[in-house]
Amino acid sequence: MLNYRRTLRWMLLPYLMGTVILIVIPAIVTLILAFTQYDLLSPPSWYGFNNFRDLAQFDDILPRAMLNSLLFVLLAVPLRILGALALALFLEHRRRGVGLYRTAVYLPTLIPDVAYALIWLWVFNPIYGPLNQVLEAIGIEGPGWLTDARFALPAIVLMSVFQIGEGFVVLLAGLHNIPRDYYDVAAVDGGTGWQKFRYITFPLLRPWLILLTLRDVLLTTQNTFTPAYIMTGGDPYYATMFLPLHIYKETFEDFRYGSGATMTVLMICGVSVILITVFVVLKGWRNQNAYD
Amino acid sequence: MIFGDPAERAAYEALVTAFESEHPTIQVQLIHIPSQSDYRARIGADFAANTPSDVMLINYRRYAQFAARGVLEPLGDYLDRSPLIQTEDFYPEALEPFYWEGKLICIPQNLSSLVVYYNKNLFDAAGVSYPNNDWTWDDFLETAQRLTQDLDGDGNTDIYGLGTEVSIVRLAPFLWQNGGELTNTDFNPTVLTLDRSNEGLEALQWFIQLQTVHGVVPNAEAESAEDSESRFMNGRTAMYLNSRRGVPTYREITAFDWDVAPLPQGKQRAGVLHADAYCMPSMIDDKEAVWTFIEYANSPAGQTIVAQSGRTVPSLRAVAESPAFLDPNKKPLNSRVFLDVIPDLKFLPIMSTWVEIEEILTEELQLGFYNDPAPHDIALMMSFRTLEYFDPPQR
Repeated sequence: MLNYRRTLRWMLLPYLMGTVILIVIPAIVTLILAFTQYDLLSPPSWYGFNNFRDLAQFDDILPRAMLNSLLFVLLAVPLRILGALALALFLEHRRRGVGLYRTAVYLPTLIPDVAYALIWLWVFNPIYGPLNQVLEAIGIEGPGWLTDARFALPAIVLMSVFQIGEGFVVLLAGLHNIPRDYYDVAAVDGGTGWQKFRYITFPLLRPWLILLTLRDVLLTTQNTFTPAYIMTGGDPYYATMFLPLHIYKETFEDFRYGSGATMTVLMICGVSVILITVFVVLKGWRNQNAYD
Repeated sequence: MIFGDPAERAAYEALVTAFESEHPTIQVQLIHIPSQSDYRARIGADFAANTPSDVMLINYRRYAQFAARGVLEPLGDYLDRSPLIQTEDFYPEALEPFYWEGKLICIPQNLSSLVVYYNKNLFDAAGVSYPNNDWTWDDFLETAQRLTQDLDGDGNTDIYGLGTEVSIVRLAPFLWQNGGELTNTDFNPTVLTLDRSNEGLEALQWFIQLQTVHGVVPNAEAESAEDSESRFMNGRTAMYLNSRRGVPTYREITAFDWDVAPLPQGKQRAGVLHADAYCMPSMIDDKEAVWTFIEYANSPAGQTIVAQSGRTVPSLRAVAESPAFLDPNKKPLNSRVFLDVIPDLKFLPIMSTWVEIEEILTEELQLGFYNDPAPHDIALMMSFRTLEYFDPPQR
C-alpha cells in the first residue's frame, strides 16, 4: 500500500513540476509585477497601487474589454452548457449511426484553436462565406459578421458554441451513470418524459452540471484570445476587444508589463467573483430543491 | 532579425549569403517574423531576456521607443569611421528621422514613399488614360470613379477603382498636401494638431469620402471579404496605394500588366517617408562583427542585392540611380517616381510613444472611414484619446 502511494506520487511529479513552473511561479511573479512599472527594457521599479489608479484614469479601452468579456461569459456559458446537455440527452441511447453523430459533436473540439479561428473566418466571410450564402439562399441578407459592431461579439459566441465536445462527453458519462431502475420505476408509476427528466435525470446530473459551469466560466474567459487575435484584432472599434487580448497588447506590444500584470490580477479577481456567485446560486438552488 | 512577406525574405537571404561568402569568419542567422506587431513583441521579449538579435531592422516610426530607453547603440561614430560608406552617400531625407537627441542611432537601408500602383489592363479596358506625373486630387477621384464598375448589374461593385489600407501613414501625405499638420513638431511633439486647422479636416474628409460618398474604395464588409491588396493582385482593384514594399510580391503577378504613378497633387507637394534601418542593441558583445554586417548591408554591394529584389528604394544615392533599382527590364517601369518625390518627403513624428498613438489614430480613422461621422468629431476623438501619450505621465 505504501509502495503504491509512493508510485502514485512519483507519477504525479511531472504534473506537479509542470504546474509549479508554468502556473504557480508565473502567477506569483505576475502578482508582484502588478505593483511595479516594467517596460522589459529597463529593470522593474516599485509602483505600489499606482497601476490601478493609472488604469482607472487613463485606460479607456479597459472598461470596454471588461464588459465584452463579461458579456461573452454570460452569453456563451449557458449556451454551451445547454447545448452540451441537449446533445447528450439526444445522443444518449445506442441506435444506428449514433456513434457518427457523437463523433461529429466532438470533432470541432479537436481542431487546434488557430485552425478553428481560420475556418470560422471563412465561414463568416460576408460575401464568399458559406453562412451568408446559405442565408441568402433562404432570402435573408446576412450581416457583415465580423465588421458590424452589433454582430461581431455574437459571432464569436456562435463559434464557441460548437466547441463543446468535452462537456458533451462528461454529460454523456453522467447520463450513463444514472441507474436504469429509476426510469423503470417512474415508468411503472406513469411518469412522463418531462417528469423523468425533471425528477431523475436533472437532479442526478446536477453535480456534473455545476462542475461544467464553473469550468466553462474559466475557460470562456480565456478562450476569447485566439479568435479575437486571429479574426478581428479587437475590431470593429473594440467590439471584440476582450480582456485577454487587451492584456496581451498592453504587455507584449506596448511594453507595459506592470499594468498588464495589474489587469491580469483584476481579471482573476473578476473571474473569482463570477465563480463564487455561480457556486452560491447553484448551491442555494439545490437546497431549495431538496424540499420539493 | 527582419519582418515582411516571403518574397521580401528571399532578398535578405541573398544578402546574408553574399555577406558570408565575403566574410567567412562571421556567421549570420536570419530570423524572420512576418507581422509587425509580433515583431515588436519579439524585440521586447528578447531584450527582457538579455538576448536581443545582433541586428534588427526597425522602421523609423518604431525605433524611438527603444532609443528613448537607451538600448540601441548609436551608429553615427561607426559610420564616421567607415572606409566603405560615408554620411554624404545617403539621401539626407532617409537619415534625418534616425537622429535621436542629435545622434544617428540606426542606418537606414531605404527611403520609400507612398505611390499609386495601377493595373494597366483595367485602365485599358475602361478606356481611361494612365495617370500622369502631375495629376490632381480631382483627376485621381475621377479616374477612380470611372474604374469602379458593377459588371453584372447586380448592385454590387465588382471592380473597385481604388484600394488602400486605412491608416494614418496612408492619410498623412494627403493631409500635408492640403497644408494640414498632424503634430506641432517633427521630433517629440507635444500636441496633435489635426483638429486645429481647416486644411487638416478638409483632407481628412476628402480621404474618408473616397469610401463613404464616392464608394471607389471597398466598404468594411467588402474589405473584410477580401482585402484590397489581394483584390489588386487578383485584378479586381484598379489602383492600390502602397510603398515600394509591395514590389517583390507584385512581380509575381502574371495575369496583368502594372506600373506605378506618383500620388496625386494637392495644394502643395508632399509625400510620406517609409524607411527601415539596421539597428544594433547596445548590450551585445561583439559590436565590431555586427557593425561589419550592418556596414556591408548598407554598402553599394549590399544595397544592390536587396534593391534587385525590388524590395527597397536604396538609401544610397549611387545605388538608387543605378540599374539595380532602375532596371528597365523589371517592373515597375516607372520606378523613377520613387526618386522624383524624395525632396518632398515628410516623416511621421519621432517620439517614444508614437506606435501607441498611431494605433489609436488608425482605430479612429477606420471608424470614420467606414461609418462617416463628421471629420471634426473624428479629429477631436483622436486628440482626446492620445492626450496621455504626449509628454506621457510616468507609465
